[in-house]
This record gives sequence, structure tokens and C-alpha cells, in this order.
Amino acid sequence: MNRTQKIAGALMTVLSGAAVYSFFALRYPYHLHFQEQYQLFEFTWGYFSGVAGVPGGLADWAGRFLTQFCYYAPAGAAVTALVFCALQLLTWAACRQRTLPVYALSFLPSAILLVFLCDEHSLLGGPVALILALAASVLCRRVASARVRRVTEAVLVPALYMACGPLVVVFVLVRILDEGGRGGRIVALAAVLLAIAALCPPVAARLFPYPLGRLYLGVHYYRYHNILPGLLWISALGVVVTVLVSLSKGRILSGTLRGVLVFACVAGAGTFFTLRTADPVKEEWMRYDFMVRMQMWNRIMMAADRRNPDNPKTVSCLNLALSKTGRMPDHQFEYFQNGPEGLLPEFVGDCTNPVSTGEIYWHLGMVNTAQRFAFEAQEAIPDFQKSARFYQRLAQTNIVNGDTDVARKYLKALTHTAFYRKWARETLSLLDAGTVFEQRPELARARDLRLREHDFFFSGTEMDSMLGLLKVENPSNTMALDYLMAWCLLRKDLDRFVECIGLVEAPVMPKAYQEALLLRWVLTHSNFEGLPAYLSPDNALRINNFIVDMQAKSPEEEMRRKYGDTYWFYYYYRYRSSTQ
Amino acid sequence: MRIRPLAILALLMLVSCSPRARHAVPAGTVPDIFPDYVGVTVPATVAPLDFTLDGARALDVRVVAPDGTQFCSRGRQSTRFPAGRWARLLARSAGASLSVTVSGLYDGGWKSFEPFSIHVSADPIDYGLTFRMLEPGYEIYSRMGIYERELSSFRQRALLENTQFDGCLNCHSYNRGNPDSLSLHVRGSHGATLLKLGDDLRAYDTKTDSTLGFCVYPYWHPSGRYIAYATNSTRQSFHVRPDKLIEVFDLDSDMQIYDVEHNQLITAPQVKQADLWETFPAFSADGRTLYFTAASRVEIPAGLTGLRYNLMKVSFDPETGTIGQDVETVIDAASRMKSVAFPRPSYDGRFLIYTLSDYGTFPIWHHEADLWVLDLQTGESRPLDEVNSPDTDSYHAWSGNSRWIVFSSRRTDGLYTRLYIAHFDENGVAGKPFMLPQRNPRKYYDDLFFSYNVPEFVSGPVRLDRIRAQKLINAPERVKFGFRWSD
Repeated sequence: MNRTQKIAGALMTVLSGAAVYSFFALRYPYHLHFQEQYQLFEFTWGYFSGVAGVPGGLADWAGRFLTQFCYYAPAGAAVTALVFCALQLLTWAACRQRTLPVYALSFLPSAILLVFLCDEHSLLGGPVALILALAASVLCRRVASARVRRVTEAVLVPALYMACGPLVVVFVLVRILDEGGRGGRIVALAAVLLAIAALCPPVAARLFPYPLGRLYLGVHYYRYHNILPGLLWISALGVVVTVLVSLSKGRILSGTLRGVLVFACVAGAGTFFTLRTADPVKEEWMRYDFMVRMQMWNRIMMAADRRNPDNPKTVSCLNLALSKTGRMPDHQFEYFQNGPEGLLPEFVGDCTNPVSTGEIYWHLGMVNTAQRFAFEAQEAIPDFQKSARFYQRLAQTNIVNGDTDVARKYLKALTHTAFYRKWARETLSLLDAGTVFEQRPELARARDLRLREHDFFFSGTEMDSMLGLLKVENPSNTMALDYLMAWCLLRKDLDRFVECIGLVEAPVMPKAYQEALLLRWVLTHSNFEGLPAYLSPDNALRINNFIVDMQAKSPEEEMRRKYGDTYWFYYYYRYRSSTQ
Repeated sequence: MRIRPLAILALLMLVSCSPRARHAVPAGTVPDIFPDYVGVTVPATVAPLDFTLDGARALDVRVVAPDGTQFCSRGRQSTRFPAGRWARLLARSAGASLSVTVSGLYDGGWKSFEPFSIHVSADPIDYGLTFRMLEPGYEIYSRMGIYERELSSFRQRALLENTQFDGCLNCHSYNRGNPDSLSLHVRGSHGATLLKLGDDLRAYDTKTDSTLGFCVYPYWHPSGRYIAYATNSTRQSFHVRPDKLIEVFDLDSDMQIYDVEHNQLITAPQVKQADLWETFPAFSADGRTLYFTAASRVEIPAGLTGLRYNLMKVSFDPETGTIGQDVETVIDAASRMKSVAFPRPSYDGRFLIYTLSDYGTFPIWHHEADLWVLDLQTGESRPLDEVNSPDTDSYHAWSGNSRWIVFSSRRTDGLYTRLYIAHFDENGVAGKPFMLPQRNPRKYYDDLFFSYNVPEFVSGPVRLDRIRAQKLINAPERVKFGFRWSD
């Protein structure tokens, strides 16, 4: 390449890296946080040997090392951009023809990898394995002696299988292509290298407790072992194809303009498929979950004001923020509500659903339930990793429950991490000093709010009883009252709501409660005579208008525009329970 | 600060078993070591009992046999007794005691503690243990496996892990520790019961049209021809109070016996009563009595705290495979507001150890659960105070010669179950139990987020072809159990 082409190539790399960074830092940051929360990277020999001691383990360990930086989204975005650029540059380094179009084509595997990384269950271990295999291939190429090189290649195949897993096949194929490009006889070499590569999984199956299929397709490339990370393998194929194409001596792969065109095509396709694969609904839920984790209640409100969430998990985060800011009784029905599922989602045995729901129980003071949800979410992580976030919560719940020996276990593990170490060490010191509840107000709050006198089994169908007991045992637990009333309202159980209204001690009856009481009044009385003084005449007038409009069969959209902020609208136009 | 570890090491090199350590300030007490090996009784073939001295920056230990043979060990975190010398020392001390003298380096200098004894029993112990390891969780499980640990060393290996298939490894049982007779239950989408008889390994579907569900809680008949199983409809509920977490209970359960020769489940109305929940079967040493626990049906969850199991027995004729007609109550725990679980008779037919808790069928989550021993000759029952702790002491198994028991206990932190082994003499008196030895035990157990579960003695290494077992589990084919009623 001439100087201009070199500058153009460098610009392509820099611009692509910047674009990848910008995408993850600005448009997809919560996917990075999501990745980070499903691992516990410890700087210990035991952790290293445990992770790296299986086929593909070194790449997995390195991938986890990089993933921990996703604790800070900008750092995670930078890591992702570096992985993107590293794969592109290594692909380029493996190519024989040094022209700008080939350089542009070397973005193809990275572009596919980018689409792969938009999936929240893709693990960085896969891309790192690809990079390691390719880097080994590029290094091997530098060995001048053909004999030494071929011995090295043969030795490296099983070693790389252990380090990278089955993506060692990229090393094998690139080496075969490279040796072919040198003009050597490659049939024997190809047979030997492919045979060694093919033998690695069956041999590994005797040594490691994994089925043969996983040893052929990768143990730690994807969070779910029964799903083939197809895009990762297509990216690997892209590497091989790019190297193969670079062996061509035709003039078609030369020229600055062609280079720019190839780059435009690859970048365009990469952008298209990336944006198409990126899931904004999941990103929104991850964002809400992150804000709940960080207790950014006002930011949740602001986000909901900009765009009203409608997914039950997201709505449950919004409702938590409403309660934490004291706005639930007045403003809950100003936002979209999708029934009790949007208040306290039912337990689902996977690694995502119990996460933010567990946060709600933690803030309610249902410490055992919060502990169960954190533990279950962690146990449900499909690739059997542990989670620093859940360890943190489990340490907290055990401290609150007085199980400090168990809490110390979690805290000690967290002291071996990069980003939770400080908190864990401080908490251990506070435990030693016996001042943990003085210095950690949220623990003291949870300790004070939890149930001590009553015992019962958690039951999703008796939520009102549990919330009521929380409030009765701890009159200061206003959040339990918010949730109790909201639970009744969202289930449209006005009789139970009225039974519980005596627990409300607000000087002015909150808006949503007034609306519910007015609705019940209307349903049980023929006029407004004798209406209690705590129900405002304005609201009485409004429900009257609501009934008139409803009887006139006004379109739902018009009703939503006029009464969308009321409980009545929810009652008649939203959420149909299975019993209704 | 950087040179501190080096300085300590250098110091240790100079002072271990040296006049300086010997001239340490006497503490006047026995040392506070982890695990607590002070006064324990161990077999002569146990792995080195390494320990840590809590609070000390370094420790220096001298172990002396009755014949005067001795060796020293020192370390920063833990002792590291040389395996060969330890083994020779123990072999010389069988039937006598080792004397252990510990000095610790603290901020104020060295302290020397009162010597303590480790009693070395002449009774041999089995080759090793097998157990399940998993996180002490709720409903969902992560990685787990069945592992084998050689007792004379620290060698531990996986027999089967759930990385090989989708499922949960569950109850496993050997016929008196014979590693060639194994029953292993796998739950989940690839659920099966693996039966290993010698080199033969098969996957069975143990559910029949005439029985409640899959076969669990296996117990082998001494002849090897039968396996007693319970079949349970098990559920879990979760407490909201801080001192309790989980309650595991059955909504129904029955008992049945599997005839290995005829591939038939045998049951009888008297152990399959509609208003009685029968579970945890165990054959007597002569194989002519079947012990089990049973409770009157209650409404769940309202009656759960009133659900109490008694120890029962029924006769069994191994020649005809007939279950006797008369079911007798051996221990009426319910009348004492207690509940029996895990009855395990000793193989010499003399004793039976069971777990006693306040209620329910799953004492593992009950802090009050303790081991009790029943003298089968006198009928007297007493708490096994020699081994019990303030926290959960539960699942237990006998060694082949009935002179040792292994049991699980949550005494270290209240949650993570650890294994303890205790000597059990011919008079029914247990020695002080010792925790399963590990190199650097404090670090090992602190870093270990698995609980030990269902420990069983084995007389030799278990030869389970992991890959064949994996193929059997992942394949859809299962051998169906037949069924017949007892005559």
C-alpha cells in the first residue's frame, strides 16, 4: 500500500473503533452492565486455575477479565472497541495481499463479531479465543525455518485447543492457507493439523466433564450451552475467507477507490445488522434495572416521563421508584400499569427476572425473599458463573439476618475483585468493629423493616397479607403500605382495598386512593350524597363525567386522553386478570 | 511492608522448633485451632490433620508419637504436615495418642499453648467417601457433582458432574460401601436412576403406573438383591423470618422395594397408606427388617409445623420378597413433639442413628436438628451429644465395620454443610468428631461455596465410566421398572 492507502486504512480502523465505542457507550451501555453482573472475576490463583483449566479456558478467563471493566460502561465500550480493532488488525496481519481493498475486507470478521456482541448472552471468551488463535497463526508465520514452523504448528494445535477451545480451527485453516500461499506442499500438513484438531475434543472428553458436542463447538463462547453461537463461528469463517481471498493475485483487490468501496460495503452491512440485532426493549429494561441497582429514583422518573414503559419488569422498576420517592399513592396511575405483574412480578426461575424483583423485596424489608431471589438468579446463570452483584446482595441479606459468618464468605470473595473490593473490605472492617449497621444505613433500614414476630411461607397469591403484616409490624414501613394498596388496586380488588384503607395515615387522601374510593362509591351508591369529606368534590365531578363518557361509549383513545391518569381508566380499560 | 512475608518466613526458618519458639510465653490454654482437632479420635490412615491457628501470624507445631517419634511443622497460614511422616507416625500410634504442641506468633511475640491429644483408633476406616457437592440453595441448581475423596490423602475426584448433561444429581447409595453396587438418581429433563452392578451400568425409569413417582432415598439390602426406595412428591416453601429460610416437605410419599433380579418394584398397602406418609427406608443388618419413617397426613402448609415422623419398622422376607403385614412404631417421636429422619442402622446390627428435629421431614434446614442413637438391643435412645453441635447435625452414614460414622453439620457458619467423621465404639459411645481434613483448611473451607451432601463411605475407588454414564443419561432410552404387590 502507498502512503495514502496506509493513511486511509488507519483512518478506517480508528473510525470503526470510535464508532463501536460510541455505539456501546452511548446507545447500548446497559448491555455492558448486564454482562458484568453475571460474573465474579477474582484475582486469585484458584479462580484462574478453575476457569483456565478446561478447553478454551484461557480465552474464557481473559474474556472475563475484560468483561469486568463493563462495570463502567465507557470502559466496557473501550474494551469492546479494542477487541473489534484487534480482530481486524490480526485478520489483516494474516492476509498475504497487502492492498487497501484487502485491508477493508479485514473488517468483515470484526463486523460480524460486533453483531454477535449485541446479544447479551454472548461471552467475550469467544472473541478472545478467535483473537488468540489468529495471533498464534500470525506469530507462527514469522518462524523462518519451514521445519521448525511446522513442528511448532503441530505442537500449537493441542495447546491452543486448551487455550481457545475449538476455535483453534481458525489457527489450523489460516496456517494451511498461509503455507499454501508460500507455495509449499500443504496436503500432508493439512491432514496432520486437521487430524490433531479433530482429535482434541475426543481426548478432552476423557479428561473434562463435558459432552463431546460442547467440546467440538465451545464450552464458554455463549452463556447458554445448548445454543450454538452461530455468529461467532461465521466471524471465524470470515477470517478464513478473508485470508483466502487475500491469496488471490488478481488486480480486482487493488486500488484506493475499490478499498473505500469495500470498506463502505462492510461498514454499511455491519451497521445495518448491528442496529437490526440490537434490542432496544431489552436495553430499556437493563437500563431500568441498572437505575434500580444504583437507586437512581429520580432518573427513573425522568426516563418514564420521556417514554412510558410498558414491559412488566420495567414498570415494576418504575413503581419502585414511585414508592421510593413517595409519589406512588398520587401518581401511580399517571403511568401505564399492567396489573400486579408490573408491581411485584412473579418469580421466574431464570437469571434475569428475579433480579430487579429481588430489589423490590429488599427495599420492602422482605430480606429472606430478596436473598432467595438473588441466590436463585445466581444459580440460574446458565454457564454456572457467580455474580459480584448477587454476592453483594447476599452479603447484605446475611448481615441483616445476623448470619455474619456466611456474609463474610461472600465479602472475602468480593475482596478479590477489582471493583467491589473497596466496598467489601470496608464492610468487613465494619463487621469486625461491630458498627456495620451504624455505617450502612440501608442495612439498618432492612433490619428494622423485616418481619420478626410473624412467620409464614412466602406466597405470591397472598401478597396482600404479607405486605399488611410488614406494615403492621413496622408502622414506619410506608413502602409496604404503598405496595399493599397498589396491589389491591392493580388487582381491582376494591373490597380488600377498602379493608386496608384504615392503615393510611396521610393528612390528605392520595389521589389514586380517592379515585378508587370514589369508584367503589359509585359502584355501591346511586348518588354522591353522604360522600366522605376526604373525597374531593372535584374528583367526584370528574368520575361523574367519566361515567357519562363511558356510557356514551366514547372511544378508548379519547377516554385515555381525558382520563388516562386516573384509576378508573385502569379499572375499565387496562389489565384483564384471569378471574375477570 | 513488602518484606514482611519474607521476614516472617526467614524468622520461621530460624525459630521453628527452635529455643526461641520453645521459650515462648505460655498461654495456659489449648490453642484455638481450625478445624477443632483438639481431643479428636481419628483412624490410623487419615490424611494429615492440618490446621490453622486463628489470630496468629505464624505457627509452629510439634507432633509427638507415644514412642517419642516426632516431627515439626510451621507455616504462616496453616500447618503442612508431611504426608509420609504423618502416615508413619499415625501407624505407630494406633491405639494410643499423639501429643500436639502448638506455638503461635502474635503481635506481642510467641505464645506456646498447652499440648493436646489426638487419639488414634486401632479401628480401621473405609477407603474413602463419596458425596454430592452443590450450593446450599433453594429450587434452582447450578454446578454440582458426585465426588469421591480418598480418606488417607487429600485426593478428590469427580465421579459425575452436571456439566455433562442437563439435570440434578441426587441420591446416591452403595451396598455397605461396595463401590460396585451403586444407585444414583438424576433429576431434570434427562431424569433417570443409574444402577451400577459390577461393570454393568443401566439407566432406569423408576416411575410406574402403580406408584407415586420416581424412586428416591435408596437403601440396599445386604444381599444386594433388593433396594428399598421412597417415592415422594416433594415441595419447598420459603420462610420470611430471619432465623429460618427453607422448608422442604412432602405432599405424599410411599415406600417400595426394588427387586434387582426380577426388575420389579414391590410394595404393599401397609407401607403405601393414603393417610400416612412413609419415607427414608433402611434395611436392618440382617436384611429381615425394614426401618422407615412415617407421619400422619396433614394439611400443607397450615399443618406443616405439626408434621412429625415416627420411626417405624416392618418385617421383610428376602427369600420371597414379601413385606410383612404388621407395621410397628419403634420411636414415637410425634408424641414428644419431635420428628425422625434418616434412620441408618449400623451394619453390625447393634445401633441405629437417626436425625431428630422439631418437625418435618427435611432436617437439613432445621438448626435444632441433632443426631440420636438407638440401641437396637435395649431399645434405648439418646442424643449423640459427643458429636452434636448447636447448629444442624444431620445426614449420616456408617463405615463398613460400623466403627465410624460420617455426618454433615452446619456448625461452622450455619449454612454451608461440612463433613465430620466420628469414631463409634462397640458400646455406642462416639469420640469427638473431626472435620474432613484439607490442606490449609481455613482457606479451603472459606473459599468453598459448595455444601457437602449425602456422604457415604466406600470401601474402594468407584469405577464409574463417566462418559458411558453421560451417554446413558443423555440418551432417551430407559429401562422401565416392573411392578408387583407384595404377597
